[in-house]
Amino acid sequence: MKNKLKVLSAAILCLGVLVYLSIFIAPFIFRHKEPPQGRVFRGVAWFRFDQKNALQGWEEKIFKGRVRYSVRADRQEGYLDAYSRAAASGIVRWLKFNPKRAPMVSWKWRVLKFPEKNKGVYEDNWWIEKDDYAARFYVIFPRFPFFRFQCLEYIWDKDIPAGQVLANPNFKGLKIIVVESGEENLGKWVSEERNVYEDFKKLFGSEPGNAGAIAIMTDSDNTASFAQTQYNDIEVGYAKQ
Amino acid sequence: MQNNKRKRIYLGTAFEKRLLFLVFISAAIPATIVAACMYYLIFNMMAWQLAFPEAIAGILMPVLSKVNLVMLVSLPVCLVLIWFAALGISHRVAGPLYRLEKDLDERIAGTKHGPIRLRQKDEFKALAERLNKLICK
Repeated sequence: MKNKLKVLSAAILCLGVLVYLSIFIAPFIFRHKEPPQGRVFRGVAWFRFDQKNALQGWEEKIFKGRVRYSVRADRQEGYLDAYSRAAASGIVRWLKFNPKRAPMVSWKWRVLKFPEKNKGVYEDNWWIEKDDYAARFYVIFPRFPFFRFQCLEYIWDKDIPAGQVLANPNFKGLKIIVVESGEENLGKWVSEERNVYEDFKKLFGSEPGNAGAIAIMTDSDNTASFAQTQYNDIEVGYAKQ
Repeated sequence: MQNNKRKRIYLGTAFEKRLLFLVFISAAIPATIVAACMYYLIFNMMAWQLAFPEAIAGILMPVLSKVNLVMLVSLPVCLVLIWFAALGISHRVAGPLYRLEKDLDERIAGTKHGPIRLRQKDEFKALAERLNKLICK
């Protein structure tokens, strides 16, 4: 009888541990996973937007209004066009890569229209006014629990000097790096290449874990203006040449 | 069996203390674990769904603050409720046992006669009935 009770207790304990673990592990196992859509090139993924279905596998996240993300595959060289009219929404692509082994990401972008920032209008809440950018490129490092999420965000802004790093006052795991600045290259394709591993170490002061996603956003909701940017040739997770 | 309510809701016997502690932790610990799991699971899934840190900061963090505030207020209230529920449950076991011991002591000493009486909702009524048969023999 005593042995039966022990076995029953052990079984209940095991079942409890199993349920407990599955609650924590389930989100990681069953989260959205798909093979990379882009043609495999040097690294983990390569997105060229030269086919009509090039956005397959990307998820749209709408925050305020809807930015029109459309693939222009009919041109000689396809690209992704982002058109925002007082809206903020982005597209995200879940893909896993190890920045220590393959730290490089590169992309091309062309800003056609910057959001109109009225200097001084939002002096008391400067962050809101400034938080509209024509072009954003994200490398997201999801963590558990969620408030440990970390993210490198590369932007092209009209006014903030290139090289400057901004911190979001509401989310300490987000570092915004201004990689392009000004209207000098307005309407021209500009290529960017970043070493995510080096950027992460420099800005967060620690070794990065696996990156879990990349994302793109063009927004103009805070300034209630309009912005347009085109993106192409996104290459993720390749070794430094 | 008597119907009158017990006046003392806590006897303070070692058995009752142990029982109260066991009932309390066996209710409070699973409840806390389930609440913590739900809390982290829901917010984590929502964060994955939002993906963008700005959205997490702008949408999820304010919700989290409000939920934390509600938890801060409701958690002590819930623990107090669980404590009183545990007190009631443990007393329904420890109370009649104490009564049985006391009545038997009195009958052994010869200061009291007749059957042992328990309350309607008390445990150990079957045991009391058997003891009464033994006493009446």
